[in-house]
Amino acid sequence: MPKVTFINPDETRVELEVPVGTSLMRAATAHGLDGIVGDCGGGLTCATCHVLVQEEFLPNTPSMTPNEEQMLDFTAMGRQINSRLSCQLVMTEELDGLTVRIADPQL
Amino acid sequence: MTNTSAATSLPEAPVLDIDPFSDENIENPYEFHRILRETAPVVFIEKYNMYAVGRYEAVRTVMSDFERFTSEGGVGLSDIRKPGAWRTASPITEIDPPRHTKVRGALTKVISPIVIRQWREVFAAEAEKIADRVVEQGEIEAVHDLVEAFILKAFPDVLGVDMPRENFLDIGEMNFNQIGPNNELLKKSLEKVEPILPAFQRAFQREAMLPGGFGEKIFEAEDKGEFEAGTAGPHVRSFLRAGVDTTIAGIGHTLNLLAQNPGEWEKIKADPTKVRGAFDEAIRLQSPSQVMFRTTVRDTDLDGYRMAGDVKVGSFLGAANRDQRKFVDPDRFDVDRESAGVHLALGVGHHICIGQMIARLEAECILGAVARRVKRIELTGEPRYRLVNTLRTLEHLPLRLVAA
Repeated sequence: MPKVTFINPDETRVELEVPVGTSLMRAATAHGLDGIVGDCGGGLTCATCHVLVQEEFLPNTPSMTPNEEQMLDFTAMGRQINSRLSCQLVMTEELDGLTVRIADPQL
Repeated sequence: MTNTSAATSLPEAPVLDIDPFSDENIENPYEFHRILRETAPVVFIEKYNMYAVGRYEAVRTVMSDFERFTSEGGVGLSDIRKPGAWRTASPITEIDPPRHTKVRGALTKVISPIVIRQWREVFAAEAEKIADRVVEQGEIEAVHDLVEAFILKAFPDVLGVDMPRENFLDIGEMNFNQIGPNNELLKKSLEKVEPILPAFQRAFQREAMLPGGFGEKIFEAEDKGEFEAGTAGPHVRSFLRAGVDTTIAGIGHTLNLLAQNPGEWEKIKADPTKVRGAFDEAIRLQSPSQVMFRTTVRDTDLDGYRMAGDVKVGSFLGAANRDQRKFVDPDRFDVDRESAGVHLALGVGHHICIGQMIARLEAECILGAVARRVKRIELTGEPRYRLVNTLRTLEHLPLRLVAA
């Protein structure tokens, strides 16, 4: 199963096995990573599952829908060059080894 | 879409001889939903010259694949582009991308999650006041005394609209009747609103916006060119259409389901943050907006059935939300199901409910305020539903609140 490393705001690292087809937001909340809130469950209306994607993986991530593009402007941390909403990062084999930093704050 | 020769060899969507908008099926839609799901992925209902879908995946497809299923014919049964239409278009829900994308972006700016979170204190203060009052009363009619009392104060206040609060419910009834057929229910509700229609029309004009509300911000954005000229008022009307009745319905359903499922209530008592899960689970089971329409752009097919072009398709959100292909034990109310983002009560795709975080915040504030004060909630009579073509909402919910 492909793996993802989350870097928490306190710099601790958590490596999770994420089934193909599951979003990083679901994986993180299911494992109790408090830094990911995911209030709306993936509907692109809350912007509380914000992550910063390690840059070499950016080309492998799925392209952004207009709704995600718009919501990133309203993240609590503010948008960075490598910002994504983790509800839209659905696991694939190509993303194995992905590292993301959890944005802080989310609310 | 498959190619034409393959598509023509496919069977036509079977005819289903059921009226989704009969009084019986509005009052209790679940048998209709079951038959709709089990008959085929898509059926044709002759009486209304419409297709209907009720399976989870089919509803997702029809709601979001705008190249085949457009919103530009309107989200109701009547085609707003054709003569004789019985509802007026919304400048946000009834356009497809790429036009929709720009409008959605401008609205997102006005009610971004950052803006919405600032309303928490205002909502919470109002919720605490109302919860004090109803707990003191003990025996209440929860729709009126609790849910409407809260929403009809909280939402128009943040929207900043000056309209007599007692007008909202009849206007809402009209709106959700208009999404369905031009039937007796619609006729009656149009007669009922006739005296208050001028006040409703005034309520979304620039002069009616109260300072500090987000309605005013929509007009300011129009002035800056972010919205097409003349659309700010209709945008405010869209919020009045979409933001009041559905939230009242959802909170009412949550209270009803919690009263009927004491085990789930105990979970809320143990961890009041679970009121959010309860609200999403309630709108999964009793979806306030029961059906939304799209129009086939051209001849197409869906899960092995042929569909003709330029025909309305009813996406029965309430049916999809109890599809056992998607949900385990679908009729069970489970506050831990984590159904937010999975159920389709708020739509799906680019048109997904833009105000859903407002609704969740309102629900969390009022349900949390009640849960902190109350040991048990009990039904003291039969809940009753209002008869509205496309809105599932309670008219009467008699409850006893047993103080903690």
